[in-house]
Amino acid sequence: MTDPTLMADLARLDFAWITTMHIIYPPLTIGLAAFLFFSEVRWLRTNNDEWYRLTRFFEKLFVINFGAGVATGITMEMSFGILFGPFSQAAGPFFGNILGYETITAFMYEAGFIGLMMFGWGKISKRMHLFATFNVAFSSLLSAMWILVANSWMQTPTGIHLENGLFLVDSWKDAILNPNFLTGFPHMAIASFEIGLFFVAGVSAWMVYKNRNGKMFMRTLTTSLMALVIVAPLQIYVGDELGRTVAEHDPAALAAMEGHWHTDNADGTPNTSWNVIAWPNEAKGTNDFQIGIPHVLSLLEDHQWESTVQGLDQFKPKDRPPVLLPFYAFRIMVAAGGILMLIAFWALYLKYRGQFTVNGLQQRPWFLRLVIFSAILPYIAIWTGWWTREVARQPWIVHELMRTSEGVSQMNVTAEVVWFVGFVVFDLLVWVGAWYFFAKVVRHGPDMNAEVVHQSENIPVGSLMTDKLDQHETILIRPTT
Amino acid sequence: MEHIMTITHPYQWLTIIWWLLIGFFLVLYIILDGSDLGAGIFSLFDTDKEERGAIMASMAGTWDANETWLVVAGGSIFGTFPLAYGSLFHYLMMPLMVTLWGIILRAVSLEFRHHSKRSTHFWDWGFGIGSLVTAFSAGVGLGATMQGFSLSSGPVPTFNGGAMDFLTPFSFWTGITAVVAASLAGGVYLRARFDRGTSIYRKAMVWTDRMFYVSLIAIMGTVVWTFFKFPWAMSQWIGPYWWAFILTGAVVVFSVWAMRRASHQQRDIAAMMWLGLIVVLNFGAMMATLYPWFVPGTMTIFDAANPSNSLTAFALAMTGFVPVMLAYNVYQAWVFRARIQELASYGR
Repeated sequence: MTDPTLMADLARLDFAWITTMHIIYPPLTIGLAAFLFFSEVRWLRTNNDEWYRLTRFFEKLFVINFGAGVATGITMEMSFGILFGPFSQAAGPFFGNILGYETITAFMYEAGFIGLMMFGWGKISKRMHLFATFNVAFSSLLSAMWILVANSWMQTPTGIHLENGLFLVDSWKDAILNPNFLTGFPHMAIASFEIGLFFVAGVSAWMVYKNRNGKMFMRTLTTSLMALVIVAPLQIYVGDELGRTVAEHDPAALAAMEGHWHTDNADGTPNTSWNVIAWPNEAKGTNDFQIGIPHVLSLLEDHQWESTVQGLDQFKPKDRPPVLLPFYAFRIMVAAGGILMLIAFWALYLKYRGQFTVNGLQQRPWFLRLVIFSAILPYIAIWTGWWTREVARQPWIVHELMRTSEGVSQMNVTAEVVWFVGFVVFDLLVWVGAWYFFAKVVRHGPDMNAEVVHQSENIPVGSLMTDKLDQHETILIRPTT
Repeated sequence: MEHIMTITHPYQWLTIIWWLLIGFFLVLYIILDGSDLGAGIFSLFDTDKEERGAIMASMAGTWDANETWLVVAGGSIFGTFPLAYGSLFHYLMMPLMVTLWGIILRAVSLEFRHHSKRSTHFWDWGFGIGSLVTAFSAGVGLGATMQGFSLSSGPVPTFNGGAMDFLTPFSFWTGITAVVAASLAGGVYLRARFDRGTSIYRKAMVWTDRMFYVSLIAIMGTVVWTFFKFPWAMSQWIGPYWWAFILTGAVVVFSVWAMRRASHQQRDIAAMMWLGLIVVLNFGAMMATLYPWFVPGTMTIFDAANPSNSLTAFALAMTGFVPVMLAYNVYQAWVFRARIQELASYGR
């Protein structure tokens, strides 16, 4: 017999890897799709060709990213059953149904309109094309919503009861609108917009930095950074709300995120110290070393100067999550979010001073370099945030109802290792490929010579069917998926 | 498993319809992606670099939409038959894993080739091998499903066997059959896709001719082996509905003949349609043989069904999204219907 702990840990590692390599694509798809809709609207409103060229340029990047998301996403869909079979069976009546909804109402919906968006230029009316872009943006957000419904329900499983080992649904409304979803989904949705906007800002800043169509890319640089002046602080606010939701419904997770072991100080007063850094010792049930600021913890979680925040000492050792990873992952996420907000504020300051022009920015190369490199930060924030979410829920797969060790498939350790090695190779292939072709498309820059497609506004959709495509062009210009 | 039956009992007709619908998704996937996979296998034997590029370009606009149906089938199985999803997929860990690797390799190769200059050769092989591996391991998975698997006792029975349980001479054989059948479909597809004057068309003619006989042998072998190996199959085929199976068999034989004739007369689209019909009939006969089993001898569709299945999901899927996707498939096929004539343009 294999060691059950090793087996469960390997299953988690296998799943963590494929999730980590998948979650870098869909949020950008969502954010970029919303941005494409915006820039296409700008084009139709202003009739300015630059917005058309910008749309087409960012669409190329979008399509590469979308394809990478699908390639890694098929794996996700199969892996619940493979790696966590008993969980999939027990939670299936709710969880499986939600993922099924995701497939049918979001994935199919999106797949249909993405084709129209990619191939439709010049074949359908501008308005019809805008409609397709809107639906791509909407359906990708819908897809994220279903995924977050499923995941949030694992954090706060409401609306169900356990019967004969199955989670049966009592109230679809309560199960879908579970407490964690109500703040968790906005947090993820805004993260998607943030990554999309910083991606656009980073690419645009590079273009301005290299003085390639700098004036044109000032449009997207200004738009994205100014939008971030609102989005970035909003994300911090929503994140704080989510933190309070976690504090209320899963205090053990929150205590792990904060490295908060002792509910009370030695003298009996509530321990409100917020650890800036710490080195947790799970065996001893305390931190070997910590630097804390009093009162901050209760201020953060309770918005009060002094109140009791449950520490890990309130939970049996077997019910405690690991501390080290959530503690640091959470801090890195918060730091990344904070830096992103400061960059947006710096941009606002430059704009206010009237220096937010091609010349003004080229005289401030450090600002541009910072914006270019900051495009990586939302990725780091999304990774660390999701790791925090998943690890801090442990040892539960469905909070307080099913342990991860009960939900895992009884697998052979060798098979799990083979799985891991194989997906490291293939997912890295996708990742390296996607980013290599991002770089290639960006270096190549927007197509400034192609004729702008002008299709009369009242062509019926039916003409799609009779409009013979130029085969050559369609295949050759088809962007990568 | 009785207690689960009592929970799922009231949902019987909905369960049957969902099962049929998932069968429909799967057969659609097999027909659509089978051709693409077969064309990939064909490309392994076609050493001409330009032609390999042309084959890949020929499906550039459609392959991902074809693959959508696999995703839809997977999601629907999780949603409507979670008890099968959580045990069958675990049992099929190895073949599914290899299938996923094949799919990723093929997807990456198809897309990166068009951007590459120096690494073209590498992506050509990636495309061919990815296609071969996907077809083979998916076929193994299908055969392994027919064998059934061992279940634990307990309130929710789950797979409790080993990682290599799936691999038997029979499942290996069904893997080979899938490769051969896909190869035939790929040849038929390439003939319909390329201009009759091109060298690919001529090569595909020879290929289709050979693959026709090879797949005939492979499929006949599978049918005979199934009959003698699985009591559930034998009892269905010689049971009260024997005439229906005989009738279906007769229609299949006629369709094979019609496909051959169309093929000889170079009515390539017609040949493709006949082949599609053959796949539908075979798959339908397989499902009729399986009923009421989801996995023969292991769990029935009623054991596996989701007790929380709702009409809402069904209505949503059927009235909204399935027709839209179907229309989209048809639209794409129409957009890319013209035969490809010049090869040089697709070299890179």
